[in-house]
Amino acid sequence: MRNNKLKTAAAIFLLGLLAVPLYFTSTFVLHMFTLVFFYIALTAAWNIPAFGGKFSLGHAAFFGLGGYTAAILYVKLGISPFIGVVAGTFVAMLGGVILSFPLVRLKGPFFTLASIAFAEVLRMVAVDWRSLTNGSVGINIPFKPSWLNLTFTSGAPFYYMALGLALLVIGLAWWIRSSSLGYHLRAAAADEDAARALGINTAKAHFMGLMWSSGLTGMIAVFYVFYNYVLEPGTAFSMDLFSLQPAMNGIIGGMGTVWGPVIGAIIMTPLGEFLRFYLGTIQQGLNFVVYGLMLIAVVNFVPGGIVSLIEPWFKKKKSGDSSAADN
Amino acid sequence: MELIVQVCVSGLLLGGIYALISIGLNLIFGVVRIINFAHGEMVMVAMYLTFWLNYFFGMDPYVSTLIVLPVMFLFGVIIQRIIVQPIQNSSANMKIFATVALSLILQNVALIVCKGNFRTVQVSYGMGTMEWGGIFISIPRLVAFFAALLSISLLYYFLKNTYTGKALRAIVEDHTIARLMGVKVQKLYLLAFGIGCAFSALGGVLLMPFSSVYPTVGIPFTLIAFIVVVLGGLGSMGGTFLAGLFIGVVEAVGGTYVSPALKEAIYFGIFIIAILIRPQGIFGKGKGSEEVGLK
Repeated sequence: MRNNKLKTAAAIFLLGLLAVPLYFTSTFVLHMFTLVFFYIALTAAWNIPAFGGKFSLGHAAFFGLGGYTAAILYVKLGISPFIGVVAGTFVAMLGGVILSFPLVRLKGPFFTLASIAFAEVLRMVAVDWRSLTNGSVGINIPFKPSWLNLTFTSGAPFYYMALGLALLVIGLAWWIRSSSLGYHLRAAAADEDAARALGINTAKAHFMGLMWSSGLTGMIAVFYVFYNYVLEPGTAFSMDLFSLQPAMNGIIGGMGTVWGPVIGAIIMTPLGEFLRFYLGTIQQGLNFVVYGLMLIAVVNFVPGGIVSLIEPWFKKKKSGDSSAADN
Repeated sequence: MELIVQVCVSGLLLGGIYALISIGLNLIFGVVRIINFAHGEMVMVAMYLTFWLNYFFGMDPYVSTLIVLPVMFLFGVIIQRIIVQPIQNSSANMKIFATVALSLILQNVALIVCKGNFRTVQVSYGMGTMEWGGIFISIPRLVAFFAALLSISLLYYFLKNTYTGKALRAIVEDHTIARLMGVKVQKLYLLAFGIGCAFSALGGVLLMPFSSVYPTVGIPFTLIAFIVVVLGGLGSMGGTFLAGLFIGVVEAVGGTYVSPALKEAIYFGIFIIAILIRPQGIFGKGKGSEEVGLK
């Protein structure tokens, strides 16, 4: 009974989201929604290794690899971004393979550190390798509207693509978490040694988690780059935008859960834009100070993220329902 | 031939400062068991303090150590008390978030207060060099190297020969047993964080005569200090010192012979290779390394 209600509510909600571009013609509203969906997807992808307790601050590496691959293929060779998406996903996964060496061998903070170093190295290479990447000038995507070029005159197609990406990644994250891979990762997060003693190949689980995460991040990056028309090393491999931001969304929402990243991105993206518009114009940098203070507050008072605040209430309701049904 | 010696010498001298900053990190790391991602920002804050003292009072950078070091010691103590102590028993990830947040705050406060410009201190000896056997040595770098050597030796003496120093080393060895033996662990955490910050602050002051300061100047120092600590081994002062010099030389040689833009990429490369081959560091590891995730 309750399940049906939930399904109906979800379906209505989804239909509502599908109708947003029809009712809101304001580019700002549409842009905001699109951005939120992108960040939901990015955060949910970032969160997959976090099922296993691995905390990356270098996902900008995969973002940059994916974005650059598609942009270079399109601008230099005229290859459609739809092939670029496949190539970008693949190259980002290759990056994941490289990062998996430290991932498997290093615990907690040292993996985080290696991931930062990895993204930084790639950023420097992108600045230095001018013949391929145009250096710090960056690559501009020419404005040639066509489905094949992934370039449009209105914001609506990207709205739907971003929504689709968000749903896809949430779905995949949910599926991974409840598959055997998810159980292996969660066992490794709880106690790596005990998990191994029980015969779980934790190294393989971490590796698979990172493969999903890096590939998805690369894929999202391709759409994001074509949405923005421009790509340069400082943004593509940006620590703030694509390493720290997904991590922050994840922490504030609830790291290692399926809905944490969604809640985190929904709250943090508009808030970030708001802070950037209102505080950032008053005083450059003020928005990041507020971010930092929020993060410290979350670490101190709600270490499990917002999900941990909602979950008990949700569970209580659920058990209350079932006991009512028993009676 | 002359060029390579020249390059190595200048890298070695810079490496002294890296060693200084890294030893501060190693102490915090070993004693408090926290990965301080805001370590480079301590260097940045100290550099700005030096700059402002010079700007307003015309104080010589070397004289300003008398003010900057105590201030930064206190700053470290406050950070430990307010930010780190409440989450002392949380997971390693939570501690990372807290220090990452701290570095974000410090960087942007610096941006708000000091704006994004590059600031330098003009001193008469800033560009001064001396020639020795056909090799030119920058005087502020030479001063920095010997100041680093001296302060590292002092810290070494303090850790080996005083009661407090021995207690600190006991904590590095084993927290629980140190506590059981009556060591006042919480107080020593404050001390270790303070000393660690003062060391990186000294690095910042010594850098000021020959480099400039801007809000994000600290980021590479955080990464360098981690690389040095990982290479040198947790809890190993000698190892950290040698690894600091090594990274200084690698940076100088790479910057000259490969590409200045890629010099950082080179030591990150070395870092990744090193943790893969010998995650416990070249000079062994401390007892607590397992606990903080370094196996």
